[in-house]
Amino acid sequence: MSFRRQLIAGVAALAIVAAACSDDDDDGAGAGDETQADTGGDSSETGETVTIAASVPPTDHGWLGQIAAKAQEAADQWDDVEFRLVEAADADSQASQIQTLINEEPDALVVLPYDGEQLTPVAEQAMEAGIPVINVDRLFASPDAARATILGDNYEIGVKAAEFLAEQLDCEGNVVEIQGIAGISVTTDRTQGFADTIEELCGSGINIVAQQPADFLPDMGLEVMEAILQANDQIDAVYTHDDDMAEGVVAAIENAGREDEMILTGAGGSCAAFDRIESGGLYAATYLYSPTMAGSAVNMARLIAQGRGFSDLVEPEVPSQIVVPPTEVNQDTVEDLRDLCFD
Amino acid sequence: MPMTPAEPVSGVTAIPDGEGPPPGVGRLALPSRIKLQEYTLVVVVLALVVIGAILEPDTFPTADNLRAILTQASVVGVLAIGMTFVIATAGIDLSVGSVVAAAGIAGGLVVDSGAVAFVAAAIGFGLGLGLVNGTAIAYGKVVPFVATLAMLAIARGLALLMSDKSPISLLSSDGVRWFGTGEIVGVPVSIVIFAAIAIAGWILLNRTRYGRHVVAAGGNREAARIAGVPVRRVVFSVYCLSGLLAGLAAVLLSGRLASASPVAGELLELDAIGAAVIGGTSLAGGRATIVGTFLGVMVFAIMFNLLTQLDLATEWQQIVKGAIILGAVLIQRPERI
Repeated sequence: MSFRRQLIAGVAALAIVAAACSDDDDDGAGAGDETQADTGGDSSETGETVTIAASVPPTDHGWLGQIAAKAQEAADQWDDVEFRLVEAADADSQASQIQTLINEEPDALVVLPYDGEQLTPVAEQAMEAGIPVINVDRLFASPDAARATILGDNYEIGVKAAEFLAEQLDCEGNVVEIQGIAGISVTTDRTQGFADTIEELCGSGINIVAQQPADFLPDMGLEVMEAILQANDQIDAVYTHDDDMAEGVVAAIENAGREDEMILTGAGGSCAAFDRIESGGLYAATYLYSPTMAGSAVNMARLIAQGRGFSDLVEPEVPSQIVVPPTEVNQDTVEDLRDLCFD
Repeated sequence: MPMTPAEPVSGVTAIPDGEGPPPGVGRLALPSRIKLQEYTLVVVVLALVVIGAILEPDTFPTADNLRAILTQASVVGVLAIGMTFVIATAGIDLSVGSVVAAAGIAGGLVVDSGAVAFVAAAIGFGLGLGLVNGTAIAYGKVVPFVATLAMLAIARGLALLMSDKSPISLLSSDGVRWFGTGEIVGVPVSIVIFAAIAIAGWILLNRTRYGRHVVAAGGNREAARIAGVPVRRVVFSVYCLSGLLAGLAAVLLSGRLASASPVAGELLELDAIGAAVIGGTSLAGGRATIVGTFLGVMVFAIMFNLLTQLDLATEWQQIVKGAIILGAVLIQRPERI
C-alpha cells in the first residue's frame, strides 16, 4: 500500500471513530461536539433510501455481540437506510445466508466473515452480482471480494502493549502472556507484535516466562493462570489478548493474593476492564479493538450505495481500506474514552 | 486419598439383584478387572508426579501446588462423579458443560438475594435441566446421545439468553466467593466438597441397593428388569443426579471466577467423560468405578498443571496430552475383553 493510501486510510479512520463516538454520545461531551461540526457536510445529509444487509458470526462473545449492536445502532440513525442483520452459526451457514441475501439484491452488503478464507468465494459472487461488499475485521483472501475493508490492527495491539509494559517495568522482569485461540491470525498477530517489540526494546531484559492460550474464555483464563502462578514465584506483568478472558486471569491472581506483585493489560475495551483500570492497581491498561468498526462499516456501506464519499476527504469515493488503530486505555485516558467501552 | 476404599474391592459390575440376589451370585462377583485398572492408573498418577518432581523440582511437588491441582480438579471431578453414574447405565451426558454455564447464570441472576439464593438457584436449575434430560431419555425413549446433545445446545442458549450475553459479576458476594477461596480447617472449600461428593458417590454406587440398580440397568437391561430393577426410574434418576452435580460444579467454578459467564464450561463434558472412561468405567455400561474416575480426574488435572508449568507450546501440549491418555488406557487394558 502506498504512503498516500495509508494516510487517507488513517485520516478516514480517525474521522469515523470520532463520528461513531459522537453518535453514541447524546450528552454532547466536548470532543463529540467538535467532531460533529467536522463531519457535518454532505455525508450526514439524507440521500436516496438504500437497503443494507449485514452478515455476522454468532454473537455469543462479548465483542461479537457488540459488533451486531453497533451495526444496528449506526443503521438506526439514518432515515435513508433500510437495514437487516443476520447471524450465522458457522462458515457454511454464513455462506448460504449470504447467497440468500444476494438474491434479495440489497444495495450494499456488510460482512464480518466467520473465516475470511472460506467466505471469499461467496463475497466475490456478491461483488459480481453488482452488490458492493464491505468487509469487516477478518480479511477476505482476494481483493476482488470487497469494495471496502475496515479492520483493526492486531499486530499493533501487541506492539502497544509491549511498549507500555517495557516502560512500566523499565525493561526488566518476568512477563506472562495469556493468548486467545491457538492457530488463528488474531492470536498469532497479537503474539508476534508483542514478541517483536519486547525483543527490540528490551533485548533479554524482559523474560517471557509463560505463553499459553486460554481461548478468549474467562474460565480457561482462570485455570491457565492458576497453574502459571504455581510455576512462577515472581511475575511482573501479564499481557492478555482479551478483556473477557482477562477477568478469569485477574480472579486467579486475586485468589492467590498476588495482585500487588504484577500489572496486567487486556485487549478489546470492555466496560468491566475500564472500571478496573479506573480504580487502579493490577489492571493497568487495555487496547481498544473497537466493535464500533461495525458501525463505521454500515456508514461506509450507506455512502458507497448512495455513490457518495466522506465529506472530510477530497476524494469523491469511500477509501478501499481503513485500519483502525488500537487506542491505549490507561488510567490517564480512561475517563475520556469511556464512551467507547462495551458491555 | 480419602476415597480409597477400606476394602480392596471398589468396583462394581453388573449383577442384577432385585429384592434378593440368587445365592452364589454376589454383587461383587467380578471385581478383579476393575481393581487391576485402578492400580495401574495409580501407577500413571505416580509416574506423572515423579516426572513433574524431576522437571520442576521447586514448584511442582509442593503442598501449595497440590492444593492448586485439587482445586482445579474439583469442577471436572464433581461432574465426573455424576458422569460415572450416567455411563454406568450405558448412557452419556453431553450437556454438563453447557448446564454448568446455565446454572451459574441462573444463580447470578438472584445473587443480590444472597449466597444461599445463588446456590439454590444454580443447583435447582442444574437439577431442572437434568430432569428434562432424564424425562426425555427414560420416558420419551430418546437416545441419551441425542437428548443430551440437544440439551447441550439448549442450555448454552439459555445461558446466553438469561445473561444477555455478558458475564454477571459476583465480586460483591462474599458467600459465593467463599466456595472459590474459602477454607475449612485449612483445606480449600472446593476440595472438601469434591472429596465429600466422591465419598458419597462411592458409597452410593458400592454400598447401596440404588448403586447396584444403576449398574444392573446398564448391564443387561432385560435381565435387570426381570430381576425387579425399576430400570426406567433408575435411568431417569442418573440424569437428574448429573444435572444436580453440574449445578454444584457451577457454584465451585463461579466462586473461583468471581463471576458467572455464559461461555463457561465449554467442552467440560469431554473431560468428565474422559476421566470416567480412563478410570475404567465402561462406555457400554454395566461397569463403574468411582475410585477409577477420581484417578482419571487426577491424571487430567496433574497433566494440565504440569504441562502449563513447563510452558510447553500448545501444539506439543495437545500431542503429549493425547499420548498420555492413550498410554494410560493401553497399560490398564484388561487381559480379556
